[in-house]
Amino acid sequence: MTATVPPTENHDGGARREAPARPTARAWARENLFNNRHNSVLSVVIAAGLVVLTIYGARFLFVTGQWEPVRTNLTLLMMGTFPRAEQWRVVVQVYLLCAAVGLVWGGLTSSSRDRARDAGIPFSRARLRDGIRRWWPVFVLLLALLGMTRTWLPLGFVASALTVGVVARRAMEALGAVWRGPAWFFAGICALAGWQVVSGTGGIAWWWGSALVAAAVLRTTRNVRTDARWQPLARFALIAGAIAVVWAVYAQFDFSGVGWDDWSGFQLNLVAAAASIVLAFPVGLAAAVGRRSKLPAVRFLSVGYIELIRGVPLITLLFMGDLFLGFFLPTEDPLSKVTRAIAVMTLFTGAYLAEIVRGGLQAVPRGQVEAAQAIGLSAPRVLGMIVLPQALRAVIPALVGQFINLFKDSTLLSIIALTEILRIRESIHGQREFLIVGIAETLVFVAFAFWALAFTMSRESQRLERRLGVGER
Amino acid sequence: MSLSSRNAASPVAGEPSVPIVSSWWRRTGFLSAIWQAALVAGVCLAGWWLYGNLVENLTRTRIPTDFDFLTQPTGFAIPENFGFDPSLPIWRMVLIGVQNTFLAGLVGVLLASIVGLIVGVARLSSNWLVARMAQVFVEGFRNTPPLVVIVFFSFAVFSFGPLPVFPEALDLKLPGSDSNWLVLSKSRIGIPSLSAERHTGLFWIIVVCGVVAAAGVWIWRSRRHVRTGEPHHRVLWALGTLVLVVIVAFVTLGGPYDWALPARSENGRRLISGFGTSAAYLSLTLALALYTASHIAEVVRASILAVPKGQSEAAGALALSPFQRYRHVVLPQGLRIAVPPTINQYLNLVKNTSLGTVVGYADVTNLTRTSIGNANPAPQSIAVLMGVYLVFSLVISLLLNIYNRSVQIRER
Repeated sequence: MTATVPPTENHDGGARREAPARPTARAWARENLFNNRHNSVLSVVIAAGLVVLTIYGARFLFVTGQWEPVRTNLTLLMMGTFPRAEQWRVVVQVYLLCAAVGLVWGGLTSSSRDRARDAGIPFSRARLRDGIRRWWPVFVLLLALLGMTRTWLPLGFVASALTVGVVARRAMEALGAVWRGPAWFFAGICALAGWQVVSGTGGIAWWWGSALVAAAVLRTTRNVRTDARWQPLARFALIAGAIAVVWAVYAQFDFSGVGWDDWSGFQLNLVAAAASIVLAFPVGLAAAVGRRSKLPAVRFLSVGYIELIRGVPLITLLFMGDLFLGFFLPTEDPLSKVTRAIAVMTLFTGAYLAEIVRGGLQAVPRGQVEAAQAIGLSAPRVLGMIVLPQALRAVIPALVGQFINLFKDSTLLSIIALTEILRIRESIHGQREFLIVGIAETLVFVAFAFWALAFTMSRESQRLERRLGVGER
Repeated sequence: MSLSSRNAASPVAGEPSVPIVSSWWRRTGFLSAIWQAALVAGVCLAGWWLYGNLVENLTRTRIPTDFDFLTQPTGFAIPENFGFDPSLPIWRMVLIGVQNTFLAGLVGVLLASIVGLIVGVARLSSNWLVARMAQVFVEGFRNTPPLVVIVFFSFAVFSFGPLPVFPEALDLKLPGSDSNWLVLSKSRIGIPSLSAERHTGLFWIIVVCGVVAAAGVWIWRSRRHVRTGEPHHRVLWALGTLVLVVIVAFVTLGGPYDWALPARSENGRRLISGFGTSAAYLSLTLALALYTASHIAEVVRASILAVPKGQSEAAGALALSPFQRYRHVVLPQGLRIAVPPTINQYLNLVKNTSLGTVVGYADVTNLTRTSIGNANPAPQSIAVLMGVYLVFSLVISLLLNIYNRSVQIRER
């Protein structure tokens, strides 16, 4: 290779400081493409190859590609066998989730604006151009989806959902700092409602609402300081009362929904990955702390769990879940197939999260723990108030990376005959008119759907990593 | 968790030197013992309960609870290894599966390392186009599910795709002879292989002697280099010795190996000679190699960036060419940093070979799955399967950790 000293990275957005004067195109080409004889030959050859490749690619995309299988089965690919009569639930869910994301995003923007103002740093809002540069894969995916629909309805749906998100964001930015707390709570309610409008409020759904309310109570009463000894008791009573109210409210509703056993298509990929990572978080946290414990038995158990799971492929665990996980329970196979798969994915992710969190724990300087012990904090408090907040902040990018892996691994659910998107793609080619039509095209579509989301997430997490790194210095 | 140490007996200066004796049941040692005993007891109880349920459910559904099935006949043929007799016991089937997994893993690791190294270096090229192409490769493969890549290769490239579309099997003849050197059919690809003829044992003994001799030559050249300062060229010398020994042995023994050219059976569906490989194997290995190469490329890039810039500049000041700078200064240091994360990637690749089950490659996972479908007990089969992968993981990480220790820079 004719590579020399690494040039400055050319893909980073945030790290570049004030840019020097832009060189002319001619000077730029001489510097970057034709700076010596090798490179000149290389550039010409590659450019020729790229032209050919582009022509082939464009012909495949717009002329020769048979996209009819994708176009005909678009809803099937996205939602699979989700009951069509219940589709409105998903629509409402998307609106609610957009609102929640908009609120959170607006809150983050406005709080960082306030911080910048306090520190006397000029604050510039992200421009639309930056947004498009950061999120273009998602926009391309949306455009591809909309381009293949037959009616105008989806366009209106996407546009209105995006509008809801933007309005929520602007509203959050416009609100003063006083209202930000309740607005966080409202965002949580939106997300929760978005989940339950599909899954229903039956069963143990009220747990989630209770957790949300308890968190809100804890947060609002955090700054109330009295010396009274009954203060913890009062807070506890407050939370218990709030949970009772939530439970009572839930008990009034009889809003049955569509459980995740009936979810399929791309929706299942997303839900399985998200549910597994959320559920695996406590498991991974416990295993990571256990691995660093001073007690040999705890350490041994944690290491055993982590290494055993990390030593085997996910697919063997999925077979276990599919074939005989129910045998470990006394009753006759009470769990559904999706539940078992998610349980196994949780078990799997827990081990990987444990290693990630361990990395974060090791990054916390020892002096922090010693200082906390010196002011008399008990062991759980040292962990909860000092160590974990620092450790978890440092591993957020790695957590995003793990989520991306899990999202990609959710395709393995097709092997145990769950109808996620890859399985549905396969079944499309069982339809008589598409037996051998567009096999590459459906695969390209599926691959692009994953790629667009995974790529955007990984780039955003790199951005976050740089920002966190800057904050630490 | 560790409990705050209340039993500190040493008095702090300034305090009255009365030893603080806490009651025995509040001491850290006692409490931690209690904690651990409770935890172990809890885990054991839970495990016992789960195991009891499992055994009860298995007996209820009349599934055997022991490992006797391993000695039962397999009962199905393996497409990848047509010499396999279905009446052989299941443990032989597992071994065949392990062998196939190993083949896919080994070739995949080699390919992934080469491609990953090239792409990783290319990402840092001073040529904008080269760097961009490498980036597109990395970001493209890294963010796509490996399973989708494998399926793409299998269906869109090989079975139905532009590559070999052979409704009729295609034979390519050797010029001027009647035998084929390449057989392409819908699912299998046959290439020439070596067949053992005579004196193979003796031949390999001589080869081993040749390796020893080559090692001796290597040491001699190195010592000579140290003594006289002349260029050692030890790779050339040692390889030359080995090749010489092998050629002499091959000729004097009258050709212990001969080419076996691929040929098809009567019905044209099997290869009866030569080395046959399947589209499933090719798509699995290629897809995994490219997917893993994108990860390795990132590792390589990060490791090269971690080498201090002064090293490269100093090499430049010594008038080394850009290639020499990379070959002798930057890469040796960078690749040391790259070893531990690369081990992880290799492990991932070997574990990902289990995805070959989707395209019908007869790796150990696929065979186990088929055998479970033939009414063999699932829990024991999966336990054996997990054991196989655990052994793979342990052996790989052990070997590479030893290697890692040997290449680490020894700090003075």
